[in-house]
Amino acid sequence: MTLNSKIPEGKLEDKWRNYQSESRLINPANKKNLNIIVVGSGLAGAGAAATLAELGYQVQCFCYQDSARRAHSVAAQGGINAAKNYQHDGDSVWRMFYDTLKGGDFRSREANTYRLAELSAPLIDHFVQQGVPFAREYGGVLANRSFGGVQVQRTFYARGQTGQQLLLAAYSQLSKMIRAKKVAMLPRHEVLDIVVINGKAKGVIVRELSTGQIKRFAADAVVLATGGYSRVFRLSTLAINCNGSAIWKAHKRGAFFAAPSFTQIHPTALPQTSDAQSKLTLMSESLRNDGRIWVPKKKDDKRKPIDIPEDERDYYLERRYPSFGNLAPRDIASRAAKERIDAGHGVGQLKNAVYLDFKHAITKLGKAAIEDKYGNLFTMYEKITGINAYQEPMKISPAAHFSMGGLWVDYELMTTILGLYAIGECNYSDHGANRLGANSLLQTSIDGYFILPNTINNYLEGEIGEKHPGVEHPEFAHVENEVKAHIKKILHINGNRTTDDFHRELGKVMWQECAMSRNKQGLELAILQIKEIKEQFWNDIKVTGTDTEMNPELEKALRLADFIELAILMCTDALQRDESCGAHFREEYQTEDGEAVRNDADFNFVSVWEYHAGDFKLHKEMLEFEYVKPTVRSYK
Amino acid sequence: MKVTFKIWRQEQSDAKGALKSYEIDGLSEDMSFLEALDFLNESLVLKNEKVIAFESDCREGICGSCGVFINGRAHGPHDNMATCQVHMRSFKDGDTIVVEPWRAGAFPIVKDLVVDRSAFDRIIEQGAYITAKTGTAAEANAILIPKEVADSSMDVAACIGCGACVATCKNASAALFVSAKINHLNKLPQGQPEGHKRLLEMTTQMELENFGSCTFTAACEMECPAEISISSIAEMNARYIKAKFFG
Amino acid sequence: MNLFFRKSIVAATGLFLCIFLMVHVSANIILVFPEATARSLYNAYSTTLRESMLISIVAYLLYLSIIFHVVYAGIITYKNRNSKGVQNTINHNKENSSWASQNMGVLGMLILIFIIIHLVNFWARVKLGIGETVGTDMAGNIDVYEVTFTLFHNPYYVLFYSILMLPLGFHLHHGLKSAFKTLGFYHKKGLSVLAKISLIYALILSVGFGIIPIIVYFK
Repeated sequence: MTLNSKIPEGKLEDKWRNYQSESRLINPANKKNLNIIVVGSGLAGAGAAATLAELGYQVQCFCYQDSARRAHSVAAQGGINAAKNYQHDGDSVWRMFYDTLKGGDFRSREANTYRLAELSAPLIDHFVQQGVPFAREYGGVLANRSFGGVQVQRTFYARGQTGQQLLLAAYSQLSKMIRAKKVAMLPRHEVLDIVVINGKAKGVIVRELSTGQIKRFAADAVVLATGGYSRVFRLSTLAINCNGSAIWKAHKRGAFFAAPSFTQIHPTALPQTSDAQSKLTLMSESLRNDGRIWVPKKKDDKRKPIDIPEDERDYYLERRYPSFGNLAPRDIASRAAKERIDAGHGVGQLKNAVYLDFKHAITKLGKAAIEDKYGNLFTMYEKITGINAYQEPMKISPAAHFSMGGLWVDYELMTTILGLYAIGECNYSDHGANRLGANSLLQTSIDGYFILPNTINNYLEGEIGEKHPGVEHPEFAHVENEVKAHIKKILHINGNRTTDDFHRELGKVMWQECAMSRNKQGLELAILQIKEIKEQFWNDIKVTGTDTEMNPELEKALRLADFIELAILMCTDALQRDESCGAHFREEYQTEDGEAVRNDADFNFVSVWEYHAGDFKLHKEMLEFEYVKPTVRSYK
Repeated sequence: MKVTFKIWRQEQSDAKGALKSYEIDGLSEDMSFLEALDFLNESLVLKNEKVIAFESDCREGICGSCGVFINGRAHGPHDNMATCQVHMRSFKDGDTIVVEPWRAGAFPIVKDLVVDRSAFDRIIEQGAYITAKTGTAAEANAILIPKEVADSSMDVAACIGCGACVATCKNASAALFVSAKINHLNKLPQGQPEGHKRLLEMTTQMELENFGSCTFTAACEMECPAEISISSIAEMNARYIKAKFFG
Repeated sequence: MNLFFRKSIVAATGLFLCIFLMVHVSANIILVFPEATARSLYNAYSTTLRESMLISIVAYLLYLSIIFHVVYAGIITYKNRNSKGVQNTINHNKENSSWASQNMGVLGMLILIFIIIHLVNFWARVKLGIGETVGTDMAGNIDVYEVTFTLFHNPYYVLFYSILMLPLGFHLHHGLKSAFKTLGFYHKKGLSVLAKISLIYALILSVGFGIIPIIVYFK
């Protein structure tokens, strides 16, 4: 199978328009006979479900939470980028496109990235119309701020809760369509497998979490909007139930997986304090606008931070990256922190953190100004750690945060299974090897609101006559039986180890070998270790309760079983890519002073993996840079 | 650190529930309250018992999934904090911690500490939106919104929908939740064309769902993780009276 | 009849009763004057009230207000109990709300008991002529002062009267500010002023009503 990215003809700025004018349309009378399943109700899922319903399709939307409003888009703090150039600071669609492409270290498609920038401005219009209370200037116009990795102010925000406000807008639009009976919303329903009939996605098998009942749902197209899979590291900034099961099942049914190892490690999370910890809380990146990051120059320095004099502090980001300093992009800031921690300069109980200090900002701007800007974050920090950050520096640490990798999709956001789409964080599309701050809300919203509703008709037009075969088709029974057998198998092992125990073990291996920096030897070892974990999991897992009731332990185990397999693919992918690019840093490929060395001659492609009976086959989607010449990504 | 949990166990909505005691040792003060429950659950699995069902997702106080009554207070001993933000350092070694689900007629128990809050979703469906289709928006800065208006709208838009307001209210009133949503949209110029309709339909649904009426005990304001003020309820009342009497 | 309507009735009638109580307590102050002045002034005042057409209308409004206030508060309490369903085993609501706000129903019941006894002692005797006949003073006005004076020299009655002014104070403190909120007063700074006014009002009324019988007792 060859990968066809279906990039439209024409100049970069005309491609999307050309696509729209040439794609097939469906008349409203036919639309109402077409069913679409949307899995996930985050910004991508809710946005897509609502918009598709508005267009006239019948939509069924699933989420594992008790309400669509809780999807993890809700937790995005900082903001959403748009090339509005309201600040008159030289921003443009082109510049945003360029920043995103460069930020991603030239590992994404020009056409996709350009479309992202192009659609960003109308997206802000859309959210304002939907009642998002974005921050405003006194004159009533929208306010902006700047975010890591760029030099213009293009980020729109609603306090530190931008994700929440956007998600609530999407949820409200979804609610409107639920009331109109165009969307059937099924909360507490987790999709456990995809039904593919004659090479086309035609439905899903779902477990109703409150009763354990296994149900079948059929449709003419299936849209996955299931978010990121960084919980594979166990400790991440993701919600506790975020998982990769639906995309992993899709992968096993034939959807190719692109760049699975591209994971963004966020530099400003709160450090882990014990093994029992379940997640790492993110502190907004905006803190880096005024906070200075440092570690003690002396190894294993036991003094309190306020007792360490200025000349014994190493402001390593300012030292290494004088022009961007503390605002260096996330991957770079995280890696620099890891380098210092590994060298023995880490602070805190587990020596796994660095200081983020506001002393200078407070002296310069006054406590009131800092309180006004970051008050809620300081309060949150104190709630979690019990430490007053006005008096002593915060301790922060890198944490797994975002999956750039995901199901491979073409320009239409369709996976390699016909009629199966992946939108939002669960696909690999616009971010390349590293995502810029405030581009996540943007991509996920644009996929759901603007792109998919314009591309799905191109496929569905061909399905009008065919109609989906319905849940009575034998393939539904077949997949349902597989799902049931899988569940029974896990419940019957009755071993000696808990799911969390296995998850911790997996997380440690992944964090050690497949996170901020990787090397050949480590990855090879990791693959062996994970295979061993998999073996043990299927022999020694213990899950109590039954499959015919609400059983959170069973849910966790099912998700972990998929994470283990995904982890093997992630390591395989990291091992295959013999270069350093973006978030993927291979220790063998670095300069003398520790900067990444990208290899455009040999790796100017996206690694796309096909599942093949427990093994993975590599396909390459070559990247062509017609408009931008890849340069060395330097933030020095 | 060692504590005794007394936790409400209930198989399903129509089953009879009871508080059950669990003594647990080996906790640390830095653990969050929910991590302590995770820890307890792991020990239950190893003892071949069913885990305690409780809800949580983001664990950073924004998704609104978590929410239990801890020692007689919604979301635990602190003001304006979600359950997931409570840490074990808030308790003393040897404490007994009583954990119950949200109690309200409109929030039936699903299992153990998990309740069904879909009544909130049904209220939202009755107009907590702006009827405008994707793709029909005008240029964002064409609508000027004074900063004070945007800020006060944001104050109430911050609601996380956890249901603590209902759970802590002796009347199981959803007034804080409903008013927050109504005021968020009705304050903004975009939300005003449908303002009255929204107000009437959402409040009607609120009553149909069997939420009680607000008697301003102000307990909700104290427990709300988003720190929404009860003045929001008064504002909803003002809007209601205006809608009824002045059209 | 929706929940806004029911609440508004309770709030509006409550506010009306608050105004009445203010007038009532002002009149009671007469009782602490030297006896001669107090008797003639108090009796003249009550005669004026009885004979005024306007006051009669107001009086009927007052009776209706009490009835509506009680009936609707009763309905609301009943419905709210039903909404709540099962109570928590442990509830530390004192940590998040005032005691009065959690117990308006009980407080209201105590006040209602007081009102009934109070009406039997004064209103029934003076207006309906039930019980011992009330004489007239020198100016020919019905000697309400004598009735009051006698009652306020009964230590049990004074005790009963003064103690029950406590629940009145609590009820008014929460009731006054809440009534305004129910009727849509939401100005944030205004609300904190309102809270103070409610406290002062409740203090004046409960202390005022409560202390006068004691002063009279020792007179």
